[in-house]
Amino acid sequence: MTAYVIKRMIYLVIILAVMSVLVFAATHLLPGDAAVMILGQYSTPEALEAIRLKLGLNDPLIVQYGRWISGFVQGDMGSSLIMERPVAPMLWEALGKSMVLATLSMFCVVVVGLGLGVLAAVYRGSWIDHLSSFFGYVGVSIPEFFWAIILVLLFAGSLGWLPATGYAPLSDGMWPFLSHLILPVITLTLTLIAHVSRMTRSSMIDVLHSQYVKTARAKGLPENMVILKHALRNGLLPTITVLSYDFGWLVGGIVVVEAVFGYPGIGRLLVFAMERHDLPLMQAIILILTAIFVLSNLVADLLYAYFNPRIRYGNAIE
Amino acid sequence: MVAPARAGRSAGMPIALLAMLASLIIPSAALAEKVLTVSLYANLSNLDPIKTTTGHEYNYALSVFDGITYIDRDMKVKPDLAETWEASDDLKTWTFHLRKGVKFHNGRELEAEDVVATLNRVLDPANGSRMRVNLLIVDKIEAPDRYTVKFTLKQPYAGFDALLADYQARISPREAAKGISTKPIGTGPFKFVEFIPNDRLVVERNPDYWRPGEPKLDKIIYRIIPEYASAVAALENGDVQVVWSLPPEEIEKLKTSKTAHADEVTAGTWYAYVMRNDIPPFNDVKVRQAFFKLMDKAAIADIASLGHGVATHSPIPPGHPAYNSEMPIAKTDIETAKKLLAEAGHPDGIKVVLWMPKEPVYERFAVALREQAKAAGVEVELRSVATDQFFADKEGKEPFTVTNFYGRPTPDTMVYSWFHSKGSWNQNLWKGNDPEIDQLLDKARETKSSEEQAALYKRFQAILEERGPAAVVFVSNHADGVHNSVLNFHASPRLWIDFREVDLKQ
Repeated sequence: MTAYVIKRMIYLVIILAVMSVLVFAATHLLPGDAAVMILGQYSTPEALEAIRLKLGLNDPLIVQYGRWISGFVQGDMGSSLIMERPVAPMLWEALGKSMVLATLSMFCVVVVGLGLGVLAAVYRGSWIDHLSSFFGYVGVSIPEFFWAIILVLLFAGSLGWLPATGYAPLSDGMWPFLSHLILPVITLTLTLIAHVSRMTRSSMIDVLHSQYVKTARAKGLPENMVILKHALRNGLLPTITVLSYDFGWLVGGIVVVEAVFGYPGIGRLLVFAMERHDLPLMQAIILILTAIFVLSNLVADLLYAYFNPRIRYGNAIE
Repeated sequence: MVAPARAGRSAGMPIALLAMLASLIIPSAALAEKVLTVSLYANLSNLDPIKTTTGHEYNYALSVFDGITYIDRDMKVKPDLAETWEASDDLKTWTFHLRKGVKFHNGRELEAEDVVATLNRVLDPANGSRMRVNLLIVDKIEAPDRYTVKFTLKQPYAGFDALLADYQARISPREAAKGISTKPIGTGPFKFVEFIPNDRLVVERNPDYWRPGEPKLDKIIYRIIPEYASAVAALENGDVQVVWSLPPEEIEKLKTSKTAHADEVTAGTWYAYVMRNDIPPFNDVKVRQAFFKLMDKAAIADIASLGHGVATHSPIPPGHPAYNSEMPIAKTDIETAKKLLAEAGHPDGIKVVLWMPKEPVYERFAVALREQAKAAGVEVELRSVATDQFFADKEGKEPFTVTNFYGRPTPDTMVYSWFHSKGSWNQNLWKGNDPEIDQLLDKARETKSSEEQAALYKRFQAILEERGPAAVVFVSNHADGVHNSVLNFHASPRLWIDFREVDLKQ
């Protein structure tokens, strides 16, 4: 197991190093540059040149990459070209707000997704199973941007119960703070809840029909104990790893949802950076999002290895 | 004073105490902080005033900084940090006398050297200030004494005082130039408190502001709310008191509101059809004239701006002292248009492709022309592309495109770059070359009397209507959404909001 973890850590570093090159290259392939964005309609060739010189946009790409990555490794994400502010505090502030969304969404997915899945499996064929299946199919088949619009029209438009977009800090009060989170969280979680509950249901059904559950029942254990002690632990195994992968997916989905709901998180900051060709800001955000994605995949793999004694990763390496 | 005395006699201490308590509570209620929340629809980019580029930033900059001069909502030049100024007879030397005792937010007194330092930063091309192109006529900036700034120009320039009122010419202390984008310091009515990108920018009252009794507000919170629907909903329920720059659809919505209204003015943002004067078909003046004749500017303005725009002759907006109001907006004349096309060798009509960015106003602007052109046998094929791609590959390259520009502070800056043959935008866009226009625009720069100057610009507008290089069709209005609790609010054709006199009903 230790060897496996070390091996995965090395992979992680390699993946991030490769990604940093890709992110850097991809952002430099975008047409236009920050100098053009700064001067806009007022640009003249010599003025553009003066800015490019000052921002170091004329240096060879390899030099620019070296400057960027060496700073990054030392914890210096550089300064935004457009805003002329250090990237790091802006990024962490925005990421913090996004993490509020992500954590709340994850919580909903775990509670509702697992709950629905287990209930559907235990009461297979009942109305709750049908309801959860229906919900599952609908949730999986309809993309989140569609949900977003329907929810906004209904709850913010016709009913007027919730704000359509935006953000309120906790200092404005609990309800303003939460009311701005409800629609984005629902949008982010509908698909995932559907996905997780379908997954949980099918693995629980497998487990409930397995020999050891039958044995447990044959021992005369009460049904509650059978489900909680024997079935759930094994039945949730695939779901737990899926959840960790989903966390990475969630952070990606946040970029879209934040744009739709005007939520001032990392996604909005990324869109802003893209629109203005603000490369240091853009690169730092993409790299951090990549790191989160890669890390959550790593956690998924490790959890799977940890929870599943049948897979002996340590032995496989030896 | 009366109440405690009477209370003391009739009911003794408890009531006297109540009265005392009341006197403690009532003044504190009257002194409750006046906090006004403004919604902006996009993030602010750079807090360094010389590097501002959007209306969102101009609003912030006007609250934290002052200019040398100021353009009021009637587009007249007024004193700001400069109390008085004079120009030499040849219009090449301009001397500004600064107000004494004006304090920066860091406590130091404003000096002429600060003005020199700020404008030198504008002139440094590495700073990328959008105002720089307008200041290229400046040869030297000097501070002969503590309160005097002297500009020596390379050429006579009549509207130089107005030029110094531009968005970016906001004065900051020379020692604070480095780091001003994170710690903004000015002399303005409000002091910078904090900025959380994509979320909010907060400023608070400057108690030492040089205009007595102003500002009235204690705090302004600029919130970034990208969706107009949410911003207007927040305005109607009073969470937000001002929504900056409303699109036409939202102006209509506010007409029925009981709690808020739209404050609308004619602004200088203009829309035009760009015709390349150096390649067919528009290199033939008759083809351009045929297009001028076939279009109904007022109808196009109505369609494109949903009724919140006004037809114009040139980028000089109706209502401006230099606008040619004696000359009416041309009426549609399909017969003459057909005749002109036939003379230009297109007796069976003509087909042109009109390029535009994929944005609603541009699309309505283009569709309106396509429909009107049909009557004259002109087929306008519309092609829209992503905005970035449009400005990179289409504008100034295709023979026929749409364009739009923000208004500028003076008639010269409104038109020179676009219509003088040496102007940078002329060379980028339509590449016109009309010696009479050149001569008029050059002469206007050297004309001191504003009446004589206006006459030159009026003649220029007549030439545009007759044989111009392009068709400037309309200027769009600017409107802010305002809650009914806000007092002394005035939307400005300069787009920004001057909050100095604005107050809140308590």
